[in-house]
Amino acid sequence: MNLLEIKNLKKSFGDLEVLKDISMSVNEGEVVSILGPSGSGKSTFLRCISMLETIGGGSMTYCGQTAVSEKDGKPVYVSKAELNEIKHSFGLVFQNFNLFPHYTVLKNITDAPIHVLKRNKDEVMKEAEVLLKKMGLSDKGDFYPYQLSGGQQQRVAIARALAMKPKMIFFDEPTSALDPELTAEILKVLKELAAEKMTMVIVTHEIDFARSVSSHVVFMDGGMIIEQGKPKDVIDNPSNERTKAFLKKLEQ
Amino acid sequence: MKKQKLSVLAVLFAFLATAVLPLNVMADQERSTFTVGFDAEFPPYGYQDTETGEYIGFDLSLAEEVCSRRGWTLVKQPIDWDSKDMELKTGAIDCIWNGFTMNGRETDYTWSTPYVDNSQVAIVRSDSGITELSQLAGKIVAVQSDSSALAAFTGADATEENKALAESFADLQQVGDYNTAFLNLQSGAVDAVCMDIGVANYEMEARGGGFTMLDERISSEEYGIGFLLGNTELRDQVQETLLEMLADGTFDRIAEEWGLSDSVCLSAEDQLSDEAAAYEKASLWDKLANVCGQLLKGVGASLAIFLLTLLFSLPLGLLIAFGRMSKFKPLSWLVKLYISIVRGTPLMLQLLVVFFGPYFLFGVSTSGNYRFYAVIIGFSLNYAAYFAEIYRSGIQAVPVGQHEACEILGYSRPQKFFKIVFPQMLKNIIPSITNEVITLVKDTSLAFAISYTEMFTLAKQVAAAEATIMPLFIAGVFYYVFNFIVAMIMDKLEKKMNYFR
Repeated sequence: MNLLEIKNLKKSFGDLEVLKDISMSVNEGEVVSILGPSGSGKSTFLRCISMLETIGGGSMTYCGQTAVSEKDGKPVYVSKAELNEIKHSFGLVFQNFNLFPHYTVLKNITDAPIHVLKRNKDEVMKEAEVLLKKMGLSDKGDFYPYQLSGGQQQRVAIARALAMKPKMIFFDEPTSALDPELTAEILKVLKELAAEKMTMVIVTHEIDFARSVSSHVVFMDGGMIIEQGKPKDVIDNPSNERTKAFLKKLEQ
Repeated sequence: MKKQKLSVLAVLFAFLATAVLPLNVMADQERSTFTVGFDAEFPPYGYQDTETGEYIGFDLSLAEEVCSRRGWTLVKQPIDWDSKDMELKTGAIDCIWNGFTMNGRETDYTWSTPYVDNSQVAIVRSDSGITELSQLAGKIVAVQSDSSALAAFTGADATEENKALAESFADLQQVGDYNTAFLNLQSGAVDAVCMDIGVANYEMEARGGGFTMLDERISSEEYGIGFLLGNTELRDQVQETLLEMLADGTFDRIAEEWGLSDSVCLSAEDQLSDEAAAYEKASLWDKLANVCGQLLKGVGASLAIFLLTLLFSLPLGLLIAFGRMSKFKPLSWLVKLYISIVRGTPLMLQLLVVFFGPYFLFGVSTSGNYRFYAVIIGFSLNYAAYFAEIYRSGIQAVPVGQHEACEILGYSRPQKFFKIVFPQMLKNIIPSITNEVITLVKDTSLAFAISYTEMFTLAKQVAAAEATIMPLFIAGVFYYVFNFIVAMIMDKLEKKMNYFR
């Protein structure tokens, strides 16, 4: 089943057209990596499908539920209540974590499941312990974000997203704010999630990671998808000139 | 840090010590100027001409004539009536010449002979139905602070009759000047104003009806020129010239010009009296204790203003901040205008508007209790505007990523604000709030603008009554200690918020 179905997505900031007619679908269990030079629109694309930005045209469907449909060339969002429900189908991990600084690690993870999803507190706490263990942070539950390294903070952010039990998680350059050593920590976690068949859409610059983990790679430039397919096709054997140029630059 | 605070205290006490030392009279060598101290709001004796802006009046005309005859240059020095003794002691003025009542002050100054006989009368609204002094029982009566009327009611030499009368009032309100008194009377905030008959006649004529003077007199009294106790040399010179003026008819001509022919009583037969009263030498500590005791009565009032203002303005500020940040433009503009007006005009003026507004704008008479409410309303509205801007800056300083994280996790707007934004805002704004709260402590003294007796007003009254600047310095120490505690509490709060970064 297609967990995410994007058709003809367009987005402009004022006169600047950032996304031009993007269509993409994500199957359950798929890991999709979005590559591309900076300014290509990949982060904007991720923010659009996370509904942090309203789109200028096209349609978006999550787990079969339509969130935005196109009528007379204009995007029409469904009701707020429906959107709120749809939003629970995905999570988002930010480039700079955006943990709540005044909450402990444990509260960062459990607060939304308890107060937004209204789930049983004991149950949520138990799950949070499991998540922390999985992230290698069992002893950090009572720490505040500022007491953790960047890699640890990002792992808390991933645990926070997972605690909401989304059908899929979007990652917006999750390792860009980290040095190589900490980057490896995060990539390891993402690999584990991929192995568990978590559906993920990842905007990244880590080519090696994209190659080894992704089931599908999308290459974007100038607000359009230039090339997409299996990683070994797009990364190892690109057909488009711009993809080739981008990959070559990265190798240097 | 601690050491610094201690040294500041030491400096304050040094000031205090100098303040209570008797101040020396400047030796009077060849005199070229003659400085008259007067309350510039006391027509017809001394006041500001609304057209020319010059200070004029009966007393000033007399003084001018005296000066021209003696070859002195007259300096007209308007003074704050509560500070008249300090002005005299420091030599800033040479005499108080301003419809200055001698009765009850006989031993406090070196006096000229009386030149005006005046009586204390009560003015009521014509529609009040009050015709006798006894009908003032249960009513609110206003007098000028440290005025003859006040002395006639509560002074050491007040008659038993007047004391009993004053007891029967619902309240004996002290106001700063007669304009305020009449505004109070007109708006119904007070039921009667007691004052000198000369002033009363002038005020009633100037205000054009609506007021009635009761026939009964509260007391009779005489005006003289007050010089610093012991300064007989200057007094004798002025007295001599005055009698010259009386002899050649100039005095009576000036009295007629000012419509005071019926009141003047200068006579060549009157004897100068020179009982140089024993200057009370109470010990410094007794005086200190006495003044502190009197000021403590005002501390409660100041504290009430402070706490109630915070109680109302802190939450109100948050609402105003929301209005200011509202996406509904008309609301946002309206709130912006409100903040701009409140921050752009003096708090003192705002207090006057809140207090007198109901009557002069809407014709609603206010009760005596309204004075305190007006203080709290005025202060709360004012401080809420400042707090609103602090809140806004604190809210806007919360990173946009925090809002986005809330969005993704599905928090509702109230959840987002109270759980995530508010605690972070609080941490952001504590230093600015501390500033504002410390200012509020000192601003409570502005309540005097509408004659609400808080600590500083009391300090000024005590200073006037005791003829020393000490109470003002003690008030300063009170404010400092108050703020020291406030700063300490806010410091604790700031440290407490350091649990996250």
